[in-house]
Amino acid sequence: MPSFSIQDFMPIFPAAILAVGAMALLLSEAFLVSVPHASASRGYQAVIGVITAAFAGTVAFHNAFEDPRVVLQGFAVLDPFSSFVTVVVAVTVGLAVLLSAGFLKHRNAERGEFYALMLFAAAGMSLLALSAEFITLFVNLEVLSVATYALTAYLRRGTRPAEAGFKYFILGAFSGALLLYGAALLYGATGTTKLAGMAEVLRAASSGDKAWLVYCGMVLVATGFAFKVAAVPFHMWTPDVYEGAPTPVTALMSAGVKAAAFVALIRVFVALAPGLGPQVPFVLFGGLALLTMVAGNLMALPQRNVKRMLAYSSVAHAGYVLLGVTALFAPAAGTEGHGMGVLSASPLLGQVPASAHADIYKAILFYLLGYAVTTIGSFGVLAALERREDETRGTTWDLDRFAGLAHSKPGWAIAMAACMLSLGGIPPTVGFMGKLLVFRAAVDAGLLGLAIVGVLTSAAAAYYYLRVVVYMFMRNAAEGAAVPERHWQTDVALAVATAGVILLGILPGPVTAWLTQATMLALR
Amino acid sequence: MSAEFVLFWVFAIATAMSALGVIVTKNPIASAMSLVATFFFLAGIYVLLWAHTVAVLQVMVYAGAIMVLFLFVIMLLSLGEDTSMTKFSPTRIIGGVATAGLLAALVLAFRKLPEASTGWAASVDQLKAFGTLSQLGDVLYKQWLFPFEAVSLLLLVAIVGAVVVAKPRI
Repeated sequence: MPSFSIQDFMPIFPAAILAVGAMALLLSEAFLVSVPHASASRGYQAVIGVITAAFAGTVAFHNAFEDPRVVLQGFAVLDPFSSFVTVVVAVTVGLAVLLSAGFLKHRNAERGEFYALMLFAAAGMSLLALSAEFITLFVNLEVLSVATYALTAYLRRGTRPAEAGFKYFILGAFSGALLLYGAALLYGATGTTKLAGMAEVLRAASSGDKAWLVYCGMVLVATGFAFKVAAVPFHMWTPDVYEGAPTPVTALMSAGVKAAAFVALIRVFVALAPGLGPQVPFVLFGGLALLTMVAGNLMALPQRNVKRMLAYSSVAHAGYVLLGVTALFAPAAGTEGHGMGVLSASPLLGQVPASAHADIYKAILFYLLGYAVTTIGSFGVLAALERREDETRGTTWDLDRFAGLAHSKPGWAIAMAACMLSLGGIPPTVGFMGKLLVFRAAVDAGLLGLAIVGVLTSAAAAYYYLRVVVYMFMRNAAEGAAVPERHWQTDVALAVATAGVILLGILPGPVTAWLTQATMLALR
Repeated sequence: MSAEFVLFWVFAIATAMSALGVIVTKNPIASAMSLVATFFFLAGIYVLLWAHTVAVLQVMVYAGAIMVLFLFVIMLLSLGEDTSMTKFSPTRIIGGVATAGLLAALVLAFRKLPEASTGWAASVDQLKAFGTLSQLGDVLYKQWLFPFEAVSLLLLVAIVGAVVVAKPRI
């Protein structure tokens, strides 16, 4: 008879709070709303959503000071690493709910289900970050995916949302199946689905006659994750889905889903890599990082459609995080892989990666936090500028929309400018600090070639980010341009996101100090 | 002759007869009802094999949910009486050949089965402890509690998502 203590359930409290909040929203739709088809009586729903997210984030913050350990019979972990991501997810979903409030009210489409699905998606992200067993991981990945499929197809005006929802569903199911197949192969080779147990027997399994099962399984699992984080060449769905989804949902997807998927990926591969030798994950993630950084930025360059540009930029940013992930598996300097090739570790600095692991985790987590805040801000401005009448036209997100924004809406222009600078990695913003930490971690791990590619591509990326700023501040608005509506919720969300972008860029100290704590993983 | 033995023959013959009824009756409703009967008798055989879980699922899922779906489809299509069974069309010939081939393959496979038990269940007690409901409950609620509860969250999200997507345009 297994016995559980309350300590066992601590890691899932944030997710439970989010799920309960979501259910309360669903029930409120049935019992509290008097006018079925008006948004007027639903103002309280966004407030419930934000309070739930704040509560969950606080509990997760508290959890982050617990010692890392495996709980719930080995199905989950309680460690600062996952708790930190839950905090990021809670912040993200809180801001996304605020953005949605104005966005949906403007379209008379505010419903409890929308916020409930957002909170369910956040619960799935939180649970994904703490899963330490493949079936649990798959189920939690599906919780978050199913919620985001439905959110993508929530507003079905015009043809794009239906296309986006369907494409996301099909490709998401496909990638989920790949991950599950990989997990099944690993189970076949090791006889267990728990990461801890798998790590123990993997070395024997990967050198015996089941080696092919192990390697095929690992590659399939990596592919499944690569779809979710939108790494090139598994990024095809990203621009269409990000463009077709309601803009606040896009913000949630690019910030939250990506962060949770990266954490799950890191947990799986850090736990299993010792049984394989680091070469396989190193080559795998190094190749993905190289392709993603280069192709993501190149594809974003010609985009005049700002929403599509941000979608490609989200692909490119996945590449920078993958650079950090690659650094985790960089072979120890001086052992093998000498030389200065793009995909090799150079012995220049002579630092043994194992001692640098804490810095790498710190860099990845800080990058994920910074990217989450920035992407929420930039999609937030985009959502605020959209007008209901544009939905059937193709020019909703054209650069011209931003012309003269500095005169008509200076606050939004400043928010957008801060976010664009941050995405481009220009100081004094959080994006700069994030890139600095990631590139430094990569160089410390000896990945000079990849780090140089990263710096060069982010310099090229400054072109398309700064173009938006130029349009806002140096062009005049066209005559008779549509005037966007203001909602106080949107303004609050944008103010918080912009403050985060700038403050974390100027004073990253408290967060990075706390992140030193958050680099502890329960399984490694 | 034990009671189990008698029951097995009762269920086996009844299963075969009702399965025959599915394909020889002309009325689609009668055919569907024969299928329900087949499922019930098959469930009896599962019980005799100590596979209680499969028996219960057979009745609930197949005889209950899926057959209702079948009946709905049959009623919505409102098939006419004139589908004659005697004509030979190319698809029918191909279907017949495929069926004969499948039967031959199954017979061959059956002849290849080893004479003795393959030994996956070392004793009768182990066999009895494998497919019962209490065993399933033990696995789900003691060994796999967290993923099991996560699945319930997944189902809730899927239901809400399906309703949201199936709604008229918002």
